[in-house]
Amino acid sequence: MNLLPHLFNGLTLGLLFALVALGFMLIVGVMETINLAHGSLFALGMYAALAVIAPRFGADWPLMQAWLALPLGTRYAVALFLAPVLVGLFGLLLELCLRRTYGRDPLYGLLLTFGAALVIEEGIRLVWGSTEKQLPLPEALSGAMLVGDLIYSRYRLFACLFALAAILALWLFLEKTPYGAIIKAGAHDSEMVRALGINLGRLRAGVFALGVALAALAGIVVAPIWGIRPQVGVDAVVPAFLVIVLGGVGSLWGAVVAGLMVGMVVGLSGAFASEWSMLSMYLLFIAVITFRARGLFGRKSVLDT
Amino acid sequence: MTTDSSERATAQPGRRRFVSAMAAALGGGGAFFGPWAHTRVWAQSASAKPLVIGLTMDASGQYAASGGEERLGAMMAIKEFNDKGGVLGRPVEAIHMDTETTPATGSRVAERMINRNEAAFLIGAVHSGVANAISQVAQKYGCIFLNTNSSSPTESGKDCHRTKFVWDGNGSNFAQATVRNAIRAAGKDWVLLTNDYVWGHNTSKATRAILEANGGKVVEEMLVPQNTRDFSAYLLKLQQLKPQAVATAIGGDDIKALRQQVVQLGLHKRAAWINNQQDWPDVYGLGPEQIFGVFGTTWYYRLDLPGVKEFVAAYQKQFPGMAIAVPGNVFHNGYMATRELLRCVQEAGTTNNLAVIRKLEGRRMSARDRMQHHDAWIDPATHQCQQTIYMASYNDAPAEKTDIFKILTQSDPKEVVDGDAPKACKLETFEATPSYER
Repeated sequence: MNLLPHLFNGLTLGLLFALVALGFMLIVGVMETINLAHGSLFALGMYAALAVIAPRFGADWPLMQAWLALPLGTRYAVALFLAPVLVGLFGLLLELCLRRTYGRDPLYGLLLTFGAALVIEEGIRLVWGSTEKQLPLPEALSGAMLVGDLIYSRYRLFACLFALAAILALWLFLEKTPYGAIIKAGAHDSEMVRALGINLGRLRAGVFALGVALAALAGIVVAPIWGIRPQVGVDAVVPAFLVIVLGGVGSLWGAVVAGLMVGMVVGLSGAFASEWSMLSMYLLFIAVITFRARGLFGRKSVLDT
Repeated sequence: MTTDSSERATAQPGRRRFVSAMAAALGGGGAFFGPWAHTRVWAQSASAKPLVIGLTMDASGQYAASGGEERLGAMMAIKEFNDKGGVLGRPVEAIHMDTETTPATGSRVAERMINRNEAAFLIGAVHSGVANAISQVAQKYGCIFLNTNSSSPTESGKDCHRTKFVWDGNGSNFAQATVRNAIRAAGKDWVLLTNDYVWGHNTSKATRAILEANGGKVVEEMLVPQNTRDFSAYLLKLQQLKPQAVATAIGGDDIKALRQQVVQLGLHKRAAWINNQQDWPDVYGLGPEQIFGVFGTTWYYRLDLPGVKEFVAAYQKQFPGMAIAVPGNVFHNGYMATRELLRCVQEAGTTNNLAVIRKLEGRRMSARDRMQHHDAWIDPATHQCQQTIYMASYNDAPAEKTDIFKILTQSDPKEVVDGDAPKACKLETFEATPSYER
């Protein structure tokens, strides 16, 4: 059997896993809050994109008719930008609730985000119903293409290139802008950042909204592959958690490398030992954590010395 | 804990105190008006004690959508009986707990419903592992359990029980209805895509047996873990294997994701696809292209048979505005199982399990009564309902938006009987089954 297509597939899978984990990584890294609502926000992103591309209400309004008359590709491109912004704004509201948990036992944040996950999932059911939905795709991204003698999905190729672009954009933002420097400083020592006169509350709100928007963006990109249903977030939150712990909490490149490793392991085991494909990521996790308890790129705490 | 809350409430400003007081009042009110209301009614009249039916149905996990539909089916049957005065003069009360598509939760829910909620009967299951777990608990107490929609051949085979009745067609029934035709139409080299749990394993085992008995060959069997969302590795391997047909035993949310990804690769046009059983909630809402291949089912809402239109209208009247606008096979099984059980209780004149089991065993149900093409019966040796099996494909000339199935064939239950089940099934004796009555 030709191994090359499976290696390629593992790479694309890995980029998608990394994309799914990015928002989670940012919130855990900077705010030290395990956002269990990540999966539900990922799902909300899918539904928000659906609402932007093909709104169900006001179909007879002239403005809406003009919007629906636009080519699907245009509406899809707008949804890729607008839906994460909308969900990010929703994230700001969630962060307002989360504020009361700062500085307290991490369990409070965990419980609040868990509760939020349930509320968001049920909210989605109430608004959009529980049946399967599909995100309409522009013609250019639909169907299959031939890569050598391999048939590959055009959309999957687009999704992994988009994931790569999103990772690079986030890296540039964190590394090359003053905002990124503040965020990184906040992750390293939030008290010092506050002492330097930076509004820590606003920083946390901004980071949380950005993390939520990234979760939504991942949802939109993954929607045509996984499908859209209210409970789809559960499928995202577990691999996202696994990827960030494997990569080292708070490390962008750690998350990317861990995502690629998980993708490769899942892709290859799916092809050659299919019954192990789900378990393989957990086995990889156990193997790495056994030898590097802080993950691949996790920094050692001063308390460890 | 309570003391702590009370103390904090008194120390807080007025608004919080008000909210706390309201919460306490509501909580206290719930405690007073909740269970007491029931107890008071029972005390006044023993005959009015509700007949409690425990609905052990998934509301989350892989089979959440099907769990919701079979629950509606059971609720509609219960409402029909309550509208006529209940059963044995007792109102029928349904309690539902989410079995989470998880066998351990199924066991826990069954224990709780029997011991704490005093359920007279348990109804509902889609996942065969969950059904098996519930049935073990039910048999321990003697409580009758209706497995409404889980279709592993083991459910009426080696995992059968005196107290369990299986209402869906099983993997063997569907394989017999679909595989021979598919070999003739598609070819003999097959790949099996199998959900890695009891239903998938045993359904693919049945498919393999029929395929090999008819000169076909399994080129490869790929086990797909439950909750798989990305099938790309499997689909790449399929491309390399180039089979003539792909037989899937994949269910719930997994089959929805698989269908979408197969279409993205255009693989639905490169091999014949045979899905052993296609549950209605797992296909409803998918686009026309994604409903590819042929598949088995036990009922369709546009069967041209007496009573079907009225049944659909009753569903729409009782559950207006549902996301699934018309009932499907899962709802039908939930409804039929519940209705038949309540009829048997009525006929037996008691809720005693042994008396009701005797009414159910060997029970014959007319085709007209069940809105199918052939009469059905409950096999006394396996406790499985033998019913008409339909083979269907996508309907490319739909009469309405929801008319997505084209029924290709209908098999008499006698032609698709699972011959292995009676050999594997060893029902407990009546003497070994505890007497149970609520």
